[in-house]
Amino acid sequence: MVVTFVRLKLKLTANGLRGKPARTVLFVLGVLCGGLFAVLGYAGLAVPGVLDDEHAAGIVLPLAGGVLVLGWLFLPLLFFGVDESLDPARFALLPLRRRTLIAGLFTAALAGVPALSTLVATFGMVDTVARLGGPVAALAELVGIVLGLLLGVALSRAVTSAFAEALRSRRARDLATVLLAVVAALLGPLQLLVLSAAQRADWDTVAYLADALGWTPIGAPYSLGLDIVAGRFWAVPLRLLIVIAAGAALLRWWAATLERAMLGASSSAGRGSARSGGPARTPVRRLLVRGLPATRSGALITREMRYWFRETRRRATLVTLMVAGLFLPITLSIGDGSPGALVILVGGLAAMALANQFGMDGNAYAANIVAGVPGRIEIQSRVIAHAIYVVPLFAVDAIVIGAISGRPWTIAGELGLLLASYGVGLALVLPVSIRAAYPLPESASPFAMSSGGGMAKGLLTMGVLLGAVIGSLPLQIVAYFLGPVWWWIGLPVGAAYGLAAYLISVGQAGDLLDRRMPELLVTISQNRAV
Amino acid sequence: MSLRGLVKHFDTKLAVAQLSLEVPAGSFFGLLGPNGAGKTTTLSMAVGLLRPDAGQAFLLGYDVWSDPASAKSRLGVLPDGVRLFDRLTGPELLAYQGLLRGMDASTVDRRAHELLEVLELGTGNRTLVVDYSAGMKKKIGLACALLHAPRLLVLDEPFEAVDPVSAALIRDILQRYVSGGGTVVFSSHVMEVVERLCDHVAIMSDGVLRMHGTLGQVRGDRSLEEVFVQVVGGRVATGSELAWL
Repeated sequence: MVVTFVRLKLKLTANGLRGKPARTVLFVLGVLCGGLFAVLGYAGLAVPGVLDDEHAAGIVLPLAGGVLVLGWLFLPLLFFGVDESLDPARFALLPLRRRTLIAGLFTAALAGVPALSTLVATFGMVDTVARLGGPVAALAELVGIVLGLLLGVALSRAVTSAFAEALRSRRARDLATVLLAVVAALLGPLQLLVLSAAQRADWDTVAYLADALGWTPIGAPYSLGLDIVAGRFWAVPLRLLIVIAAGAALLRWWAATLERAMLGASSSAGRGSARSGGPARTPVRRLLVRGLPATRSGALITREMRYWFRETRRRATLVTLMVAGLFLPITLSIGDGSPGALVILVGGLAAMALANQFGMDGNAYAANIVAGVPGRIEIQSRVIAHAIYVVPLFAVDAIVIGAISGRPWTIAGELGLLLASYGVGLALVLPVSIRAAYPLPESASPFAMSSGGGMAKGLLTMGVLLGAVIGSLPLQIVAYFLGPVWWWIGLPVGAAYGLAAYLISVGQAGDLLDRRMPELLVTISQNRAV
Repeated sequence: MSLRGLVKHFDTKLAVAQLSLEVPAGSFFGLLGPNGAGKTTTLSMAVGLLRPDAGQAFLLGYDVWSDPASAKSRLGVLPDGVRLFDRLTGPELLAYQGLLRGMDASTVDRRAHELLEVLELGTGNRTLVVDYSAGMKKKIGLACALLHAPRLLVLDEPFEAVDPVSAALIRDILQRYVSGGGTVVFSSHVMEVVERLCDHVAIMSDGVLRMHGTLGQVRGDRSLEEVFVQVVGGRVATGSELAWL
């Protein structure tokens, strides 16, 4: 029975790749990455054994093991998404006992590149222990790494399943996506924090930490071999007990959430209470942001502005941008006090948010085509709506940088550079957004993987970002040579530079859009039949 | 609406082959076909959402592909799968559509109010369209298509996933629209609805138009369903197979 599940999973993976060269390439890349991870992991974990250093092994093994198990928990949540090729809801109608289902799904989850590469990588631990304590210790460590892998998979399955259930309603999902965006955006600053903490910490603290970790479920399996090496035979059954108890509890938890997931997979469309009432405002008044004219452009700008706020992915982009825009310069200006070059990057990054502006709309964009919106108005409105959010951020950025670096007189100049790089970025990104749009998955789960093709397009976007940096480099050089003069003329010159770049591009992009509207719609629609 | 020799390939698959179709002004026209027959592809090409590989499409005498502005201003479309900017509320969406069409604000307000009232969507409803039920989404989509008082309505599967009450309402509105001189073209595979509403029908399968004409011509003295199954080439259970059921 369990074999059937594994075979089904492999079959689904293979069929998913058939006739899709781009996805196949990505899959192969994934396999290569997995292989690389396995080899490097093995090599790294075998080092303490090669050095014959029992103390180092005592630190490295539990710590690395713990990190691996936690990786199994967090990586699917943050980046990779959960492999839902075997959706439990699909088995709801089959007469399967719960035990069979859990065993089958669990084994199927093990049959994949991540599990395999984790196992190979942790074999480095077995290597180490074998060198230190002989075959018996190695055997114990082997049991340990297998248990550790099982625990990691169980943890990831249980938690993602519980999450998926908690996030059934759209509102909860929207919120979670934004939270995740914040967390992801904070990863950079956090890394710096951890690094500086690590610099201050001494090895005794780390050893103590590793020892403590060895007695938690996530570190315990990897310490089994070390116990035998050190002659602590009494510790082996204790640690085994800890791991097995934790694993059993996780499986039980998973089984419980699974059952609920099977019941209500398609239910709860989230019919929000049909709130009504409020002052009798007319539809037009309700739509328009105050101050915008009741015209075509006004409607377009308003719709875009509302979408930056209401649509999950866009809001996540905006939040990430805000966090990155504030933290990037701050962390660097604390470092060496010259965030100048980085400012350009922030401006370019802001423009990158529009790289797949049409893809984010999905096939709703058909409405604008049917209404016959001219390309130039379409693009101009989108940029204006984006600028309404981004330009104030630039101002804050410039002020913060000026204040932190203790040179408030540079604020205007920095803002000029930001605007220039934003303009150049826009100029480059607008044609790309039309030429290289790609569909985004219309998924129910915020953790769902984006479709394979997006990755290559993402690389293109990175190229555009590079182009934006290069394109605004002349201004940066001018600013450098002018010195104090730039503080005065920087803002108008930078703004003019950016505006000029944008204006040159927007006409071209508008014409391009006019010519390619139907083609664009086809590329951003999920299904080929429009 | 007049389609001349429309062709569309998807990769190597021929989706629509040399399709020509005349829809008389003021008619209630039903485009029938099984799943995958090319109905949506045909209608998408007719309204300017999908560029045909060959052929022309005229709406009310204007070429959709060479004079899109004139054609589109007199056209209302309800696309398949209801593509809407669904992070707006119903009233917001209507206002957006109206302004996008270049209508003045007071007209938009008046008509939007009326449409929301008639379609029972609630004029003060602040639920986002994404949270609407399937039937409500169809209705708001229809309201968007009607707002600028087009002379031609092209509807893709307007009755799919709609409950009987909403369906009756939509039928009623469409019938009134046609009797007021408008033209409706819609696709469907629900024979009963087509038989009840349409005066002209066309049947297509595998990208080819199999039959078209007035309802009487196509149907003859049989039921539309019989004709449809026969034309499309589906099989009718004879009773000998699946005997173990």
